[in-house]
Amino acid sequence: MLSRTSNRSSTKRVRPRSANVRIRTDRMSPGLKAADQILKKNPNHGDTEAMKALILNSLGQTEEAFALAKTALKDDMKSHVCWHVYGILWRSVKNNEEAIKAYRFALKLEPDSPQVLRDLALLQIQTRDYQGYIQSRNLMLQQRSSLRLNWTALAIAHHLAEDFKSAENVLNTYEGTLKHTPSKGDIEHAEAVLYKNMIIAESGDVQRALEHLDTIYQTSPDRTAVMELRAKYLLQLDKKEEAEKAYRALLDRNAEYRAYYEGLEKALGLDKSQKQELKELYASYANKNDRIDAARRIPLDFLEGEDFKEAADSYLRAKLHKGVPSTFNNVKSLYADASKLKTIEGLVEGYQSEGVANGDATGATTKKDSFHETTLYFLAQHYNYKLSRDLKKAMQYVDKLIELSPKTYDYHMTKARVLKHSGNISEASKAMSHARELDIKDRYINTKCAKYQLRNDENADALATMSKFTRNEVVGGTLGDLTDMQSLWYLTEDGEAYARRSEYGLALKRFHTVFDIFDVWQEDQFDFHSFSLRKGQIRAYVDTLRWEDRLRSHPFYKRIAVDAIKVYLALHDRPILSQETATNGVDPTDAKAIKKAKKEAERREREDAERREAERKAAAAKKANATADGETKKPDEDPNGKKLRETKEPLAVATRFLAPLLEFGAADLEVQHLGFEVYLRKGKFFLALKSLLAAFTIAPEDPTAHAQAVRFRQACKPLDENKAVLDLASSSLPAPFNDAKADLASHNEAFVKQHADSPRHVYNYARALKALDPSSSQGQKTILEVPDRCKDVNLAQGLEGIALLRELGSEKASIQAFAKKLQDKWPAATILEREASR
Amino acid sequence: MDIRLLRSSDIPNVQLANLTNLPENYFLKYYLYHALSWPQLSYVAVDVSSLEYNASSNPYTSKPPKIVGYVLAKIDEDNNQTGHITSLSVMRTHRRLGLAEKLMRQSTRAMREYYNARDVSLHVRCSNQAAIGLYTERLGFAREKVESKYYADGEDAFSMKLDLVSAFKDEEKAAEGEGEKTDGVDEGGEVGEAGKKEEKKTVKVGRQLGVQSLVENVVQKPSQQVAGA
Ligand SMILES: CC(C)(COP(=O)(O)OP(=O)(O)OC[C@H]1O[C@@H](n2cnc3c(N)ncnc32)[C@H](O)[C@@H]1OP(=O)(O)O)[C@@H](O)C(=O)NCCC(=O)NCCS
Repeated sequence: MLSRTSNRSSTKRVRPRSANVRIRTDRMSPGLKAADQILKKNPNHGDTEAMKALILNSLGQTEEAFALAKTALKDDMKSHVCWHVYGILWRSVKNNEEAIKAYRFALKLEPDSPQVLRDLALLQIQTRDYQGYIQSRNLMLQQRSSLRLNWTALAIAHHLAEDFKSAENVLNTYEGTLKHTPSKGDIEHAEAVLYKNMIIAESGDVQRALEHLDTIYQTSPDRTAVMELRAKYLLQLDKKEEAEKAYRALLDRNAEYRAYYEGLEKALGLDKSQKQELKELYASYANKNDRIDAARRIPLDFLEGEDFKEAADSYLRAKLHKGVPSTFNNVKSLYADASKLKTIEGLVEGYQSEGVANGDATGATTKKDSFHETTLYFLAQHYNYKLSRDLKKAMQYVDKLIELSPKTYDYHMTKARVLKHSGNISEASKAMSHARELDIKDRYINTKCAKYQLRNDENADALATMSKFTRNEVVGGTLGDLTDMQSLWYLTEDGEAYARRSEYGLALKRFHTVFDIFDVWQEDQFDFHSFSLRKGQIRAYVDTLRWEDRLRSHPFYKRIAVDAIKVYLALHDRPILSQETATNGVDPTDAKAIKKAKKEAERREREDAERREAERKAAAAKKANATADGETKKPDEDPNGKKLRETKEPLAVATRFLAPLLEFGAADLEVQHLGFEVYLRKGKFFLALKSLLAAFTIAPEDPTAHAQAVRFRQACKPLDENKAVLDLASSSLPAPFNDAKADLASHNEAFVKQHADSPRHVYNYARALKALDPSSSQGQKTILEVPDRCKDVNLAQGLEGIALLRELGSEKASIQAFAKKLQDKWPAATILEREASR
Repeated sequence: MDIRLLRSSDIPNVQLANLTNLPENYFLKYYLYHALSWPQLSYVAVDVSSLEYNASSNPYTSKPPKIVGYVLAKIDEDNNQTGHITSLSVMRTHRRLGLAEKLMRQSTRAMREYYNARDVSLHVRCSNQAAIGLYTERLGFAREKVESKYYADGEDAFSMKLDLVSAFKDEEKAAEGEGEKTDGVDEGGEVGEAGKKEEKKTVKVGRQLGVQSLVENVVQKPSQQVAGA
């Protein structure tokens, strides 16, 4: 694999870069000197001042650069160079709006400047100003119509603005100017025509797309693309016979892609009820080659009864005999069907006795038959899986496996997972550490180990674990490298561990780091606006722009946004938390604990200071040749997130995290719940109501909406003047919340009576009661009864109860009593004790 | 488990798989650089059993495709006839299912078909038995040499090569047999030569553009050209 040494510091690849940097700085200082000389003779020369500002900026002196650029503008308002430079400076601090304004001024003064036009166009596409981009690309095309990429760019502009016709016309016009057909090796051409095909298809004219594709089919070097497109079009046009051929041809190239099999099924007119035909079809593919998995695995999805049993049996046997440890992961999705679960359980249980016998019988071979061991491993995972869970059995299998092969880390890893599921996170962490020690060169187990340590609140140990595979000499040490390498999972888990302990500064620090990485990812596309045009890989580029538009729809974003918003809500509700002292999160009556926490905090402070000092030194040592990315990294002014924690406007920051959530997750219940929480606190009743209504639509019976509706009504009471909101509430909320005068207290009592055995209903009863009657302690009392009243309470709900009791201000003793009762249900669940004693 | 082409939207999960499995990591832009320079070459293995993802419905309640393996590949910037495997890994939970082998076959075939590459090279830790077995025994790579202390932690690397021309000889012959429809649009030999020339040009243009920084895994601002300057 491409090593990071070769990539970033030592081998020949990087040398040119360092040379480059040197040349650049070398070039800069004479530039600076030259500018100064001119300015000596001609002190107010705007253009020269602007150029000097640009040089200063590239040397990292941003403030001076801006000051000088402004002076330059004062000295020469009519110079397009001054405006252009001003725009470049704004762009360099990522203020696209100001940059665009400045570029526009420059263009007013010098409408034909290609450089300004280019910079403006780049920002227009970056900010998705399609109309502006069309204009700019039109001008650029007029300036240099001989360059193909100028035509392609204009087509892209039209295409993204969904003007398919203009987009196609532009490409056709250019093609019309070609004197002869470009050679097959002309990649720019090959891609441009495929891009045109994409536009035709997206315009909805599949027939024409197919006709056009046929004209380029033979010569296109992108075999996969043209074959896939052709198959798809044929199917869409209901040309079944040809479609069948096309999909078979695709499967001959790649027999592990379900989309191809699905296409073939459709082309053959088969639906899922024609099991016999399907079975034969898949068998014909399975028989082609031993190594094809999909053709064997897919039938397990649609077969039933005896057919299923037979197919599952031969599938499982083959995998287990080969000793494939991931067999279980490959079939567990079948467990959604309870009868398939039972069948598989029965089969594999049956292999157990058989395996030993077989193993003995064929024991003559030198290679030991792994069938028996792999079978046991399958069963360990099976009984650990949520749909077939029996943790006691799972542990028995794990113990057997460890006895058979004490040094196989997978078995210890599974043990850790079983322990985690039983709620014993400290033992789980220990088991995972043990697994890691069995193969210290394997990063996968190292990663799992760090994760389990974080789940067990061992942040420092987790970082030490991670450091075994990171570059620890970079600025910021291990954490700095993890941040550079955009290790979102680590930053997220680390932050969540801090949040659990109410160490909100560090928690927010991590969540903001991830938030910023998403900004970087959005920014990352910028260079490709020009790069991709030159490379000519247009379809991939357009695809990337569309993905960037939905960047924050990724669950990685949702997770930290939810985490951060919850912290900010807590900071808003209890501002005292922002004054995190050495005793934070510790029972103020427990002197010993306070002392311990103080010590811990002091130790951390000391370590931080030492680390910063070391980093400062390292940075100073490196200064001569700059850092890895050629820019000098500024030291972090707020490494522990103190400033973030002490924010005066937690809700405003929360709203920044919330906005993308609402944009992409309007149909997500949790998102709407959070939207309500933020907006209600901000006094934005209309928006709070909007979220509440959305929540009712998504899940009418969800108990959270009950409590939120009660709180909404209570909050609106003193404000009858806000008529529009109240009218909407009356016309849209379900009864009794549509009635401003409804007796919500009785409704709340009826609600808890009706759902007395559901923990989540009880919790929301308590939340509602707190809004109705803040002095009542009945809510807390009812929660304390949950372990007795709700037979089916699960561990997660138990933990939610603990958190809620704390939020409602219950005494530590009663929280611990609550936890104790739950612990009787799950004796191994040490996590309860940990959470109750926070 | 699906084997299919990598899309930009897969990248965060590919990056996660890489960070989980291997010590050689890259920031997202470097993956983008691959996906936008040689979009035909990188493949992913997707656990489709958990696939409820549908971009048009709520992205947060359905999960993005679960990437359990990937191969990130490119064409050598200095030699457009040579492909290179930048990174390959499969999650521990999905190993020995044949995924790595299949990913490699798709990627190397695309190198041959699209870029007319003659060979493909890679580096592997000398201690990495599983990977060495995969490359040499299953895929036919040959050991070229040992690069001493290639990795950051001081370990040596084998540099390996696979001759793509012979690896895909049979398949190409079979395809030619079926290609009567081709009406002699292009001659094989010429195509190869033309491909070579054009390719070189494209790459050069790209590099002038400040892609250099990416090649070296370093983010730099492309040098600004100022109006009238
Ligand atoms: C190397 C790696 C990518 C293999 O992935 P995989 O999907 O499990 O490999 P496959 O199932 O496709 O294996 C194909 C062949 O490779 C060989 N192989 C794979 N894993 C092996 C192992 N642990 N021991 C010996 N041979 C092995 C076998 O010949 C195997 O064929 P077989 O299963 O029919 O015997 C995977 O182990 C991995 O991700 N490792 C960590 C990351 C890494 O080392 N990447 C490569 C860096 S150069």
